[in-house]
Amino acid sequence: MHIPNSHATRKPFLSLERKRSLSGWAFLSVAACLIIWLNFYPMVRGFIIALHTGAGANMTLSNPIYRNFARLFEDPQFRQTVSTTFLYLIVQVPIMLVLALILASMLNQPSLKGKAIFRTAIFLPCAVGLVAYALIFRQMFAHDGLINSVLIGIGVFETGHNWLNSVWSARLVIIIGLLWRWTGFATVLYLAGLQNIDRSIYEAAKIDGAGIFQQFWKITIPLLSPIILLTAIMSTNGTLQLFDESMNLTGGRPGMSTMTMSHYIYQTAFVHSPNLSYASAMSFAIFIFVAVLALIQIKVGDKR
Amino acid sequence: MKKILAITLSILMLFTITACGNGGSGSTNVGSADISADNTVTPPPDSDGAELSGTIVVWCWDPTYNIFAMDEAAKIYREINPNFDIEVVDMPMDEIQTTLITTAASGTLNNLPDIFLLPDYAFQKNVIQFPEMFFDITDSGIPFHEFASSAVANSVVDGRNYGVSFGAGTTIFAVRTDYLTEAGFTVDDFTDITWGQFIELGKVVLEKTGRPMISTSSGGDFISFMLQSAGASLFHADGTPNIANNSTLHDAINTYLELINTGVLLQVNNWDEYTTSFISGAVTGTISGCWIIGSMQTAQDQSGNWAVTNMPRLDIPGGTNYSNFGGSSWAISSNSENAALAIDFLKHTFAGSVEFYENILESSGALPTWLPAGTSNIYMEPQPFFGGQAIFTDIVGYTEHIPAIITGEFWSEVSVAVTNAVVNILGGADITVALQEAEDTVIFQMGR
Amino acid sequence: MYAFLSVASFLSVFPLYWTVVSATNSSSDIIKGSLLAGTHLFQNFYHLLELYNLSTALMNSTLNAVVLTVASVIICAMAGYGFEAFHSKAKDKLMSILLLSMMIPFAAVMIPLFQLTANMGLLNTTIGFILPSLSTAFLILLFRQSTRSFPYEMIDSARIDGLNEISIFFRIFMPTMKSTFAAATVITFMSAWNSYLWPSIVFRGDPSAFTMPMLIARTIAGNVTDHGVVMLAALIATIPTIIIFFFLQKYFVEGIAGSIK
Repeated sequence: MHIPNSHATRKPFLSLERKRSLSGWAFLSVAACLIIWLNFYPMVRGFIIALHTGAGANMTLSNPIYRNFARLFEDPQFRQTVSTTFLYLIVQVPIMLVLALILASMLNQPSLKGKAIFRTAIFLPCAVGLVAYALIFRQMFAHDGLINSVLIGIGVFETGHNWLNSVWSARLVIIIGLLWRWTGFATVLYLAGLQNIDRSIYEAAKIDGAGIFQQFWKITIPLLSPIILLTAIMSTNGTLQLFDESMNLTGGRPGMSTMTMSHYIYQTAFVHSPNLSYASAMSFAIFIFVAVLALIQIKVGDKR
Repeated sequence: MKKILAITLSILMLFTITACGNGGSGSTNVGSADISADNTVTPPPDSDGAELSGTIVVWCWDPTYNIFAMDEAAKIYREINPNFDIEVVDMPMDEIQTTLITTAASGTLNNLPDIFLLPDYAFQKNVIQFPEMFFDITDSGIPFHEFASSAVANSVVDGRNYGVSFGAGTTIFAVRTDYLTEAGFTVDDFTDITWGQFIELGKVVLEKTGRPMISTSSGGDFISFMLQSAGASLFHADGTPNIANNSTLHDAINTYLELINTGVLLQVNNWDEYTTSFISGAVTGTISGCWIIGSMQTAQDQSGNWAVTNMPRLDIPGGTNYSNFGGSSWAISSNSENAALAIDFLKHTFAGSVEFYENILESSGALPTWLPAGTSNIYMEPQPFFGGQAIFTDIVGYTEHIPAIITGEFWSEVSVAVTNAVVNILGGADITVALQEAEDTVIFQMGR
Repeated sequence: MYAFLSVASFLSVFPLYWTVVSATNSSSDIIKGSLLAGTHLFQNFYHLLELYNLSTALMNSTLNAVVLTVASVIICAMAGYGFEAFHSKAKDKLMSILLLSMMIPFAAVMIPLFQLTANMGLLNTTIGFILPSLSTAFLILLFRQSTRSFPYEMIDSARIDGLNEISIFFRIFMPTMKSTFAAATVITFMSAWNSYLWPSIVFRGDPSAFTMPMLIARTIAGNVTDHGVVMLAALIATIPTIIIFFFLQKYFVEGIAGSIK
């Protein structure tokens, strides 16, 4: 995020500096303590669990102590879910960000009529309950569902494709579901970003003879880059922790081919014979993936 | 941007945190060791209903089935014991399972109810993992021998009983008689047959009516009940997985492949598509647990056109026409203060009252695994929806013959691994290689 | 442009339309994929009321979501304000550490969090429910970034008028930052309203405490699913979030805009 002016201008009362600083700490102390107490402390506890084996009251230190972390590298099912999750990430996030950028720049046109209606419509998917969404998507992509009827109707297929029954098309359905659910949210964020850009910059560009696409590339993208970075980090984070679509839309099927890391963790902890220690170790793997990717994105985003 | 610095610091912080965790772990006991006391509670093993009083809290799911049955059982028992009250809490089985696991991990057993329901396939797993939660009811006087042996087996661990079976999952082949007539067959042609015969007949039906015989949304489940019908388990007696060299499994998978390749079985993707397929008439019938008739009966316009018979058998020694899919059992929690009352309640209802099973039959469609209930006249009444067939007597008759199998602690792992293998085999993988892979995966998951 | 937006809007709205239509259809019509309104609305409603305690679920969901939203927005707003209005290097560092908490998967902390809640005797309480999401790094960040564009002269003149720091926050800062508060409210309310896994563990076994998402989970838990009831319940659960967004959307966009200047 871009920092408009130096902080020095805000601290004119140096004599009061110390008192002010203390008031500041007082304001943020509740929230900070809550996060440390309810996020970091349980995470440390979770890490300790990852160093154990067993269940319920009968947990013992594992041998060797990094046993559960070593398992991560030996587990073919975990490997499969990692690559599936990264596939979703690599395909869905860029498409979503581009789509959202296009939608947002359209919604930002001053001449557009019915802005509020379009804006609400595009944001709506965020509000639709997960259960209804999963049920509807399953039905739309069923063998005798709406999508096949339409595709047969316009002559793409002769007999229809069993979307959820083959590995790649089931993965595609998950990606479409993600796009449907989250593009609207990203659009609203971009729209907010666009409203901070002075329209006169576009006017000036127009006078200089820049076309719509040039304006998009030369003005919109650079000025929005902080928020693009933010959405990229948020959606990377969200996709790497993806659970809902895998659990409710495909159930991970066919086989385990659409299952995400978080779904596999859930399965390990709550569906299979519970192995909380290994599930904890896997959660740490996700945490590290997210942190590393966020770092890379910040580095790349910074160069522009 | 100074954010880079900030994040770098954060990452460093992460390693500091992990390092701290590492250092502290030696002395920290995860979970709690303080729950041992709860396990030693012993209620009077046998008792007179009249002396016991209290409120029993029950966790189970499905208001039209389990919850309804519990409420009806309470009505019956209150006639024997007026000092009895019940509070039935609607809780989906996933929530019961997560609650048991979080409870065990935190050692706060006092929040458990008196009675809770578990699906049969997960029962042994929970007893083995959390023995401190379950009340041993072996010597409680509940007549386990009066239940179908296959149903009782699900809640037995090391020869001790921990559950009272409820809701039969006896497999049936339910079929549209109007479609069979169209193809020139009757239900009798499909009774007591082998899968080979089923496929031959199915091909004819497919050719004449254009309809596959059956559908399934899960090859893994389908193969599981095929295996149980031959008394075959996916585990050896010592608990190790029996996948790669399991000849019955090979037979079942080959049969499944043939069902798909001949078009006799239609593969669908999820439960909704599955129920749609037989309600909409896309397929001729279905093979599933007997509770599936509840879904069929939502289509009242098809009344009179359905019939029920047993499922085909694998053509191998020990192959039968009977199996099980679904079903669940009541457990009593170890720290229940009303354990004696809970036992007495179950003994006089789920494990002892024909009247109770009669009362719940029509509204819930729940069938007993407690065999004496099958002798009731109500069960022998012809069912108009099924063309006047007395299906309930027939189904209770099948229940008795279901071979018992071991579900064990790792049923879910094995089930997922085999399902995955079947997907790979359908995608062209070699059966031996795929099953070896599945067995390796399960062994990996079992090694902790 | 209109065509593109219309197509996008249509695709966005269609599943919601389907939910509405399905709520009026019978279960078997729904699984056959009916796209037209049916006549089963009242029957579905009747079954829903008969089998589940809808009013309890709605009341609990509302209570939980409102308490959490109010508490969380105030706590995080104060923190965001504290981080930025009293800016220092040390506070910046603390903020970036707190941001790490956004990257912790819930699965990693669920069990310890449950232990913590149970040990404090907060199971089956609203406090137990709101505790883990009371303070989130995302909201703090939102307020911290928005505070950057806050007119500091207002604070200075309030101080000269003798207002203490707390009064400045509530009487000067809060009214000025309306739109940021609206954005924070929409985001927090939606996630509180829709949360399922944590409440299902905290409110275990207490039938008087269950929420809308827990009710929906119950409608799909049996052998036979009545899709009409499921879709009606899903629709009822969706309405409040739509209303909140619709009325706050103008401020919502402004609020987000304020935080990314």
